[in-house]
Order: sequence, then C-alpha cells, then structure tokens
Amino acid sequence: MNALIKKDERLLHKVESFPIKGFLETSLLDWCGKLSAVLFLPGCNFRCPYCHNTELVLQPHKLPDVSMDYVLRRLRKFKGWIDGIVVTGGEPTLQPALPSFIRRIKKKNWLVKLDTNGSNIDMLKQLIDEQLLDCVALDIKAPLNEVDYYRATGRCFIIESIKECLELLKSSNIDYELRTTVCPGLIDKKKLKQLLPQIKGAKRLVLQNFRPSQTIDSRLQHLMPYPKEYMQELGQMSEGYVNELRVVE
Amino acid sequence: MSLESRMAKKTTHLKNDFQESTDLALFVRTSNEDMDGWNRQKIVAALVRETYLDVETAERISKEVEDVIMSSKIGVLTSPLIRELVDAKLIEYGLEKARKMHTRLGMPLYDVDQLILRPNRENANVPHGPEATNLTLAESIKKEYALLSVFSQEVGDAHMRGDIHLHDLGFCDRPYCSGQSLEYVKKFGLHLPNAASVAQPAKHAEVLLAHMVKFSATLQGHFAGAIGWDAVNLFFAPYLRGLSDREIHQLAQMMIFEFSQQAVARGGQAIFSDINLYWEIPKHFADVPAIGPGGKYTGLTYADYTEEAQKFVWSLFEVYLDGDASGRPFFFPKPLVHITEKFFQTPRHQEFLDFICKVASEKGNTYFVFDRGDTAKISQCCRLSFKLEASDLADASQPWKMRYTALQNVTVNLPRIGYLAKGDDTTLFSKLTDVMELAARAHLHKRVFIEKLLALGELGPLSILSMKHDGSSYLRLNKASYLMGMVGLNELVQIHCGEELHQSNKALKLGLRIISHMKIVSEKLSKKHHLKFVLEQTPAESTAYRFAKLDLRYHSPASGAVVKGDLSKGEVYYTNSTLLNVGAPINPIERVKTEGLFHPLITAGSISHIWLGEAKPPAESLANFVTKTFHQTQNDQVAFSPEFTSCNDCNKTSRGLKDNCSYCGSDNVDGITRITGYFTKTSIWNKGKKGELTDRHRNAELFTQKMNKVRNLKEVI
Amino acid sequence: MLVLKAFWQKNCPRCPQMKTVTEELKQDGYVVEYYDLSTVDGLAEGAYHSVMSAPTLLLVDEDDQELAEWRGVVPSPDEVKREWAMM
Ligand code: SF4
Ligand SMILES: [Zn+2]
Repeated sequence: MNALIKKDERLLHKVESFPIKGFLETSLLDWCGKLSAVLFLPGCNFRCPYCHNTELVLQPHKLPDVSMDYVLRRLRKFKGWIDGIVVTGGEPTLQPALPSFIRRIKKKNWLVKLDTNGSNIDMLKQLIDEQLLDCVALDIKAPLNEVDYYRATGRCFIIESIKECLELLKSSNIDYELRTTVCPGLIDKKKLKQLLPQIKGAKRLVLQNFRPSQTIDSRLQHLMPYPKEYMQELGQMSEGYVNELRVVE
Repeated sequence: MSLESRMAKKTTHLKNDFQESTDLALFVRTSNEDMDGWNRQKIVAALVRETYLDVETAERISKEVEDVIMSSKIGVLTSPLIRELVDAKLIEYGLEKARKMHTRLGMPLYDVDQLILRPNRENANVPHGPEATNLTLAESIKKEYALLSVFSQEVGDAHMRGDIHLHDLGFCDRPYCSGQSLEYVKKFGLHLPNAASVAQPAKHAEVLLAHMVKFSATLQGHFAGAIGWDAVNLFFAPYLRGLSDREIHQLAQMMIFEFSQQAVARGGQAIFSDINLYWEIPKHFADVPAIGPGGKYTGLTYADYTEEAQKFVWSLFEVYLDGDASGRPFFFPKPLVHITEKFFQTPRHQEFLDFICKVASEKGNTYFVFDRGDTAKISQCCRLSFKLEASDLADASQPWKMRYTALQNVTVNLPRIGYLAKGDDTTLFSKLTDVMELAARAHLHKRVFIEKLLALGELGPLSILSMKHDGSSYLRLNKASYLMGMVGLNELVQIHCGEELHQSNKALKLGLRIISHMKIVSEKLSKKHHLKFVLEQTPAESTAYRFAKLDLRYHSPASGAVVKGDLSKGEVYYTNSTLLNVGAPINPIERVKTEGLFHPLITAGSISHIWLGEAKPPAESLANFVTKTFHQTQNDQVAFSPEFTSCNDCNKTSRGLKDNCSYCGSDNVDGITRITGYFTKTSIWNKGKKGELTDRHRNAELFTQKMNKVRNLKEVI
Repeated sequence: MLVLKAFWQKNCPRCPQMKTVTEELKQDGYVVEYYDLSTVDGLAEGAYHSVMSAPTLLLVDEDDQELAEWRGVVPSPDEVKREWAMM
C-alpha cells in the first residue's frame, strides 16, 4: 500500500501534465441531485459501437490539453455552487496517476465522482480504500458474460473485473450507480432479463436511451432509438431488482 | 366613439346637409354602404367641422377638387378617394395642420388582402383566422390614431424612427396590463357594468373558477397585455375544504384547460394569463380572515387553509406535468411559483420543489419567482412584476384591494444611442437621459388619454375599469406604474467599448452603469412628473427585431457588426433587455449570477432564461440549482425552457426541435418552445426570433448528455 | 493589490461610523474607495457586488473578487487589518 503511494508521489510532478482533454464547468446531468464540473480524460480500452466520444477514445492527441491549474482556478469562482467534480472519459482508470490527481482535487475540498467501465478493479479498490471517491458510476454494458460483453465492447476477459467492481461497490458504503445504455441491437427485453438478476440488490440503476450522434461505429448514426414507451417498459421490468431506478428516455 | 361609428355618423350628417343642385351624374360610394349623388358641399362641411378652416377657403378647395374630378375619367368615386384629393389640395395650399386633422385612417387594398391571406408574425400568440384579421385591422387603425391623436408628433416620430418603441399602440385606448386578486370576485361576484346578468358571489369552487375565467376574458378586452392573478391556490383554498383529492385534481384540470383553450376571446388570442402560486402561506396573508363560499368570511384565517392550498397547487402541477391530450406543454396559464425565505422553512418544501422542478425539466412550465427578504410581488406579464410596497402590504388585510396596473410600456433602443455616442461617455449618458425624458412624455400623453376615457365613467369605453364595488374604481390609477423598458444593452456595451457583457468585467460594469443611470433618471422623472416610472425588462417579442432592422437601415455599416442573428436571411435581433448574449456558451451558473446583478436595479421585474434544448436534467439537480440561485444571487426569476416537436399526423410529442416526427417520421410537425415569456409553435415566430432560436442552441448543449459534450468543450473553454 | 470599497448613502445612520473606521485605515496606508449609492457610479459598483444596503464594506482583490465583506455592519479597524493580513 505504502509502496503504491510512493510510486504515485513520484508521478506527482507529472500531475501538471496530467492529460485533461475536456472541461465542462457545469453539468446538471452527470451527478443526479448535484451541480458538478466534468473532467474528460483521454483513451479507452473499450470500443462500444454507440460511444459518442469518438475523438476522445480514438484520437485523443488531436484534442488540446486543459491544464489542471486552469481548472482549479475557474472552479474557485463556483465555490458554493458546484458540489463536486465528475472524472470521466474515455476510461479514467487507464491513467496510472489518477489517484494522485484525485487526491489533489480532494485537497481543495471538492466531492469526486468517478465514471468507469469497470475494467480496472485494482485502481477502483485503491481509490475507494483511500476514501478518494464520493460516488461511482459503473457501466454495465451487457449481461455479464463474455459473449455479450464482447459484442458490446469489443473486449474479452474483463468480466471478472467488472463483477468484482460490482461486488466491491455493493459492499462499500459509498454512493454508486450502475449505468446501462440501451442501444437497439445490443440491449432488448431479453438481454435485460438476463442482466437484471446479475445486478440484483444494487443501489441504483440508470437506463439511458441510445442517441444517434457521432458514434464510434458510424452505422449507428442512422439507428432509431427506442421509443419512450419501450424505455418505460424496460423500467417496469427492472423494478424490484434495484433500490432506485432512473430511466433517461 | 369608435372610428367606424364616427365615420358612419359623419356620412349621415353629410346626407342631411342641404343638397346643392348639381348636374353631375356622378355617384359616390360612401362609408355608409350606399351610393350618393355628387355633392361638393359635403367637402366644405367636412373641412369646416374637422379642421377649423374658414368657409371661404373650404369652398375654394372644394371647387378645385371638383374640377379635378370633372376633368378626370374617374368611374367609381369613393369617399376615401375624395378625401385623398382634398388632402392633396390642402398640401398644395400649405395647410399642413388642416391636412393632418382631415387625415383618413385606413389600409391599402393590397395590405388587407395580404393580411386576410397570411398569418400575423408580430405576436406569436395570435393565430391566423378571421377574428385575428379583425384584430389586426382594428389595431392598424388604432395605431395610426394613436400616433396622430394620442401622442405628440415628436413622440410619434421617435417611435417610427425606432429610437423608442411604444408598445401595443393598436391597444392605445386601454391600459397595458394588470394584476388582480380573486378576493374581488369572491366578495363581489361577477357584477359588471353593461352585462346582461349579475352573478352573486360563488358558492362552489367550479363557479368561482367560471367567474375567474369570465372576468379574465372581460379584462382581456380592457388591457393590452397580461392578466395576472395573485396567490390563486391560496384564495381558492376555502372553497376546497371537504373536497376529495380527485375533485381537487379535476378542478385543477378545469382551470388549466379553461385558460389554455380560451382561444375564442379577443382576436382568437388565448388570454395571456398568469397564476401566482405559493407553497407556504405568504406572511402577508397568513393572518388575513379567509373569504369562503358566498363571499362570506369563514371565521378562519388563510393560514388555516394550508393543507387545501398545498393540495391544489400540487394538483395544478400534476396537470402541467401531463400536458395536453397529445403531451404538449400547456401554453397558458403560466404558473409562477414564489420562493420566499419562508418557503424553505415550510414542511415538505423539498418534495414540492423537486416536483415543480420535474415539471420544469419535462415541460418547462414552471417559473421560479424569488421574493427575498421582505419583498412580496405579483408577477403577471412576461417578466413584469409589481413589488408590493408598505401601503400595499397594509392592503393585504383586504386583499380585494390588491389590483395593480402598468399603464403603458415604452422601450428604449439602447444600441441606437451607442451609434450616436461614437464612444464618448458624456454623449452616451446625456443621450440616454434625453430619450428617457421623451419616453416620460409619451407616458404623460397616454395618461392624459386614459384619464379622458375613464372620465366618461360607466358610460364610457372603459366602464368596467370604472366600476366601484369597494368604493374606489377597479383601476386604481393612482397606483399605476409606467414602464421604461430597454432592448439591447449587450449591443450598446459592445458598440461603446468593443466587448459584450459577458466578455469582460469592464463591459459588465459599463452595462451596470447604464442601467444604474436609467434607474436614477427614472426616479428623478417620477419626482418631477408625479408618476411612478419603473424600469422593466421588455419582453421585446418583436421590438428586438424591429430595432435591429431599423438600425441596419439607419446606422449601417456600424450596425451590421453588432446586430445578432443571420443577416443574409434577415433573421436579425438585438439581445433582449439586459440579458447576456443568448448564443454565447455561458455556463448557467454564470448566467444567473451575472444577469442577476442587473435585477435589483430593474424594479418591475426581470428573468433569466436557461435554454434546455433536448436535455432533461434530473429534477433534483434543477432543485439544487434553483435553491442556490435563491440564496446566492439577486436574480429575480428563472425559467427553464425545453424544446418539443409535436406531430400533426400521429399527435405525439417528442423532445427537441426536429424536422421529422421521431415516432412516425412525418415532416408535418410543429416545433414548440418558449418565445419570450410563453410557449408557442416556432413556425409562427417572427424572423428576429427565428434568428435567436438558432443561436440559443449552442447554449442548450451545455446540458446535453455527457457523451455528446466533448465536441463543444472547446467553445466552453 | 487589495482595495477596501466602502458603500454609503446620505441619511444613513451608521454610515458616519463606517467612515470613521475607513478614514483611520486610510491614515494607516490602506487603500479605500468610497461609493455613494445615490450616484450612477456608486449604484453600478454596488450592483456589481450585490450591495443591497449601506453601510457596506468590502475587501476585494485585483480581480474584483470579494475576500471579506461587512454588509450592514461596521467592523473595527483591527478586524479589517486582520482580514487584510490573512490575504
Ligand atoms: S462508451 Fe465509454 S467505455 Fe465505451 S468506448 Fe466510449 S468511453 Fe469507452
Ligand atoms: Zn408522428
């Protein structure tokens, strides 16, 4: 543990050049009930066909860097307004310096929420053990089996990590939510039926409808999202499996 | 007397004149829908009666006109044509004053043709139809009448040039807008002068609602703008005791449907109605004896009806949340929820706040009106609100007395002053003073005119406003406000210092100095003229477009660089009142904070709009935002505006403005969003507003789903 | 550079008291700016800092950010000096 922190501290001077590729000063959407600022970190080890952050995932070097100093200076103006900072991506846990980066944010007394696809259980565990997170949003892309997950993300052998992340969150006492993007062709009633028992007892599930714009797989740009009635039906199906449910039509 | 009847009377009068023999076989089509033989003496009679010319001159003019007619080959002679010929002669003789008095008001054939065939774009609340055309025709004549007879030439010219805008000139014979109390209707019933029947004070909630709606419709005929009702859920409460939740919900439904479907009233316009609502019992009403069924005191105070009042307001928002039969938001009545310090100490306020925020996010209806400290307000128009003063709060013990009006609204074209000042501070502020003095003169003219109408009492055109059920006339002229609006502060600042309001502190401070100046000048003018001049954020539905267009004409090329919108499409506008550039990607926190700095200076009410576009933020986050806006800014009022696409084929409504229905793919769709102060179909917006709509979009993206955002980040940073 | 902004108004009962304090601070070399809320410039500056009543004393930095504020109350000179020193 100590060794980990030490290694991290060596990276600290690098925090200045820690890659932030996007900074949204205020969001009412990314942290339910809170006003948040959102930081976007580059790169991802998944290739979800419906992902909107094409550039951030595929060609992050094309996006300009935002300096942490700038971010902290701007945020000072919103003290009392912004409750916390959402760290998202891409996939933030790909950054080895993420813990020290978050430590720096926490030092300024901001709450922190992490969005992750669950592929890096070790880092998530470290962040939670160090009490660096106030909320976690974990993506559940498909029923938790290799075939479905491969179809949804283009990656194999990550199911164990995701299951562990889920168990870790369930047993921790921090706030968390599971997010499932409902993309026609990947998730339907049948798939959801498979998935629901696997997450049974979770705190909160957010079912969000697919939106056809700027997707990684360009064929999806012409795909019609599910009508809102279908989304509501999925919502009804999910009742009883989780304590709290939100459907974003 | 209406113009039509005056004209009719005039022609009858002419016919009774001594008929001079004439051998002309020429017939005249009179305004009285008959044919008359040519009679030169009628010209003489009209000139003498209307212009004070002496008979001799009148005779000479009439003879010359007769010569013109004789020597021409005119086939159909109409009285308007004769009048034009006479006016031309008056000009030849240099009798300009007489010509003006002899002017005929009316419209060219071509214009009437266009009007009947095409929709009106000036006010999106007017549907297109025969009633609407009638309204526009009447308005156009009254507009001309106002400019000639109500206002001085100087004021009229300033309006025409676009230095100022006199609002609702077509309604020059009525006050601008009004706020009232249900207590008046509860106590006195519906007892209107000239009405065929008199209704006693209501005994049941539905009857009270019927009275309220009818009275609103009547008032709409007597005011140009909004009809606001104070503390509606509270004043209904004594009538709700003993009703089941279902019955209360039904009443809420009836209220909203009644108001939103009143498209049968004036010119087919829905009643521009506002209902003010409270969760808590506002301090100034808590101990007031409640009036209940039959107009009698119930023996309890309003504080005793908290439960009913809360049930009712909750039900109203349930109805708003559902929307109409096809899920579209209701356009009227607009619900204005007052948030006070006491609100936050009232049980279940968080639950209620979350709920009305849900409605705001889903349908956009909710207005959040912030009454901080000891202020209390009635809001009624797009953003107009009346701050209640000490004497008003004393009136609160007899709430039927709480009737307010703004007699007129005059808006200043701020960017125009910028072009004229050429960067010089002294010129800027002295020109601003001049134009405000001019606006004050316009108000004085209107006041004199309205007083003249009111002096005719219950037999006059404003009889309803003169009724005296509680001893003083319904319209309390001594309490009236006179609104000084502004358009384009952002552009004025941009012209004067090179930066827009949001771009630098220097620009922002200049903006604050300009509005402070306006406030101080209006206070000085109030003292001087003994009238209450107050600053107001002009709704500027068409003014912002009109000013921009006129400045492009008179102040090009300078104006080309500051006018907002799309010049090539003619979709141009100035930024409304003191708002920040609607297209600039300004974080919503900064928007409510910065725009809010102006609000304490603008006594008659202000608002910040947050455009949501497609995004539907969680209610809890909006509630968080609203709470912080109350506690940490001086912002007066906020509203969140989503956008919708409503399909005319399958009747479904979806989120966002789209070209095609997302259910059936049809392109027979209407876009719906908030124009300035209310929701309408975007297809009937004027060009300036269309330009603004395009610009709003960039901003709405601040709220779109996270995955979408990165694209816009560069802009945001 | 830090600046003290003092907002006052005619006929305000406690404004003279604030003036005594700010004058004393001025003597000691602190930068004080006065704003009369009944003038355009005073009102505008007041609006910028959301000053709703007099007397109000603000300590602001070079970006016009408020570092300390006394709204409707009059601090002692020492109190102001302490805040100043902390910045
Ligand atoms: S959706 Fe998330 S996990 Fe999937 S590719 Fe995009 S950033 Fe990575
Ligand atoms: Zn359809």
